[in-house]
Amino acid sequence: MTAMLSAAAAIPRLRLVTRPAARLPSARSNWLRPLSSATHVTPPAAAAGAGSLEPPDLHRLANAARISLTLQEVEEFEPKIRQVIDLFGQLQAVDLESIEPSLRAGTATGSSLREDKPETFVNRDAIVEAIPSYDDPYIKVPRVLNKE
Amino acid sequence: MALTLLRGMRTPVSLRSNTGLFFNVLRPRLSHFTTRAESAQATEPKAVPKSIQLATKEAAEQNTQGFEAIIGIETHVQLSTVTKAFCSCPYDYGSQPNSTVCPTCMGHPGTLPVLNERVVECAVKLGLALNCEISMTSKFDRKQYFYPDLPKGYQISQFDIPIAKKGYVDLDLPVEFGGGHRKFGITRVHMEEDAGKLLHSESGSYSQVDLNRAGVPLLEIVSEPDMRTGIEAAEYGAELQRIVRYLGVSNGNMQEGSLRCDVNVSVRPVGQSEFGTKVEIKNMNSFSEINRAIDYEISRQIMLHKEGQADQIVQETRLWDESSQKTFTMRKKEGLVNYRYFPEPDLPEVVLTTDYIDEISKSMPELPEAKRRRYENMGLSMQDVLFLANDDNVAHFFDSTLEYGADAKLACNWIMSDIAAYLKNEKLSIHETKLTPLELSELIASIKNGTISGKIGKEILFELIAKGGTVKGVIEEKDLVQIADPAAIEAMVDKVIADNPKQLEEYRAGKTKLQGFFAGQVMKASKGKANPVLLNKILGEKLNAK
Repeated sequence: MTAMLSAAAAIPRLRLVTRPAARLPSARSNWLRPLSSATHVTPPAAAAGAGSLEPPDLHRLANAARISLTLQEVEEFEPKIRQVIDLFGQLQAVDLESIEPSLRAGTATGSSLREDKPETFVNRDAIVEAIPSYDDPYIKVPRVLNKE
Repeated sequence: MALTLLRGMRTPVSLRSNTGLFFNVLRPRLSHFTTRAESAQATEPKAVPKSIQLATKEAAEQNTQGFEAIIGIETHVQLSTVTKAFCSCPYDYGSQPNSTVCPTCMGHPGTLPVLNERVVECAVKLGLALNCEISMTSKFDRKQYFYPDLPKGYQISQFDIPIAKKGYVDLDLPVEFGGGHRKFGITRVHMEEDAGKLLHSESGSYSQVDLNRAGVPLLEIVSEPDMRTGIEAAEYGAELQRIVRYLGVSNGNMQEGSLRCDVNVSVRPVGQSEFGTKVEIKNMNSFSEINRAIDYEISRQIMLHKEGQADQIVQETRLWDESSQKTFTMRKKEGLVNYRYFPEPDLPEVVLTTDYIDEISKSMPELPEAKRRRYENMGLSMQDVLFLANDDNVAHFFDSTLEYGADAKLACNWIMSDIAAYLKNEKLSIHETKLTPLELSELIASIKNGTISGKIGKEILFELIAKGGTVKGVIEEKDLVQIADPAAIEAMVDKVIADNPKQLEEYRAGKTKLQGFFAGQVMKASKGKANPVLLNKILGEKLNAK
């Protein structure tokens, strides 16, 4: 890992990361830097190496996941999530210039498609039972009106 | 996991030049807005566009006093597959709520989606019909947002690599709207799943969810911002409806929500290169509502521009209200929604082969545009052409009638007048009646060769359409063969003249329009069977013979 990291400093960054900020940010680049400021682009020099990605903003993350965290939980999770992001920082440093991009990990052998034949799920009762608030025949949820 | 994500991250690197990428999510960049027609015909971007849109543009400029509207449409088409996109649950519109659900479409943990092969087939068909480039390899992504009708917390969609892109659609505007041919660009077509249905309880204290629709396959079609008027947008929608119906991929029913159009409208002063703030309009249940909603929205925005209140035009979603014929703010868009797209790890990429695409190409029916051009070349008027090609059942009926040797114009006249009126009254589709193309061609032939008169022809038509049978059978059964024997007609004419001495006197005194009266009497006497040409000839001779 150390070897990989030291080598990384000399390797050009992925174009995506070093792309100038002139264009509108894509949702994709937002995703690369989870929930960080959308317009922020890490300068190439500072970007090299592990840990160069934005540190996690636990409040934004929690908000996006619709969960509430106590201050203590924030303190507890922050370093753990930072570790994960640091790992991505290392992965980002790998030179992929000469590698043919692949859409997906692994390749499916043969057809992965399904015939358009109906099959009714037999244990519907169990599904209904698992619904927290059921108002036959509807699932009951808190009021939502034009709320995004 | 890390490897999966890393591979996913590399995707945009190879595709970063794809400007169509962010159309759904972000405001497209300016270059994106060059209309296809302009870019195809003008070598320099700044050159005066000699586009096919020119005529409408000029018209629009006159009506809109120095402003022009830019319209783009996102259309969702629900596919008429038997099962959902990623699970085997059947889907039937109108089923008992929450009856066609399973752990997969309910988003239970541990379930895996498996793609329905018919969805790919439908997507390729539509992509080809819209003259798109088909992606030999495409993939699914997760679009994440929280809403009670979305059980998984994300929608499986296609983000940066749609199954089809860069196409166009040709259409003809209705004659009553001035006519004209148009070509509108298609940015992309992608596969995705529908969400459930959200209802609001009467008391309004809670909401209700029906997940039958969750996971039903959709194709989203994104147009280039090539339209300039409400009617162009409405016709674009109508053409998509015709295409999906011709292809049989969807019933295209707007009332049931099988075809939904979200329209983006912005307005700018003519000559300005930047686009105005765009407003999204939803909730239109017919193409005429689309037309009216857009024209209302255009005038609303122009009004604000002219009053110096252009800053009042904000990026928002507005709803069309049919009763007041106005659009209303539904929600303001505060910043951009971050859907945090990432590649769907539970589904492999969708890989197509050229054989597969070739096979689908070969199975494609003749599409509306090709039909219209073919009918036009037969010498039919544009009004006839549009009517016949509008409904593929009608077009099929017409084509079959011609195959039995019928004259195109005559067949078209029958279909457009008496048959269309009957269908409208009875609320039937042409293939649901008892009339067959063979019998229509027989009917036309029988009139042409003088066996029956046109008037009797109509009678026979109504008999056939309601009860079935053959032209020959009805003619024999009701003894309807046209009387073309001059002697027989002469006898009837003589009798009518003899029975109406008063009218004869008046006629001979100069009231010559009474010939119509006599002709009517003879026709009545012959039970409509007298050959009208012969009748009038003989009648004229007799009346004028002193």
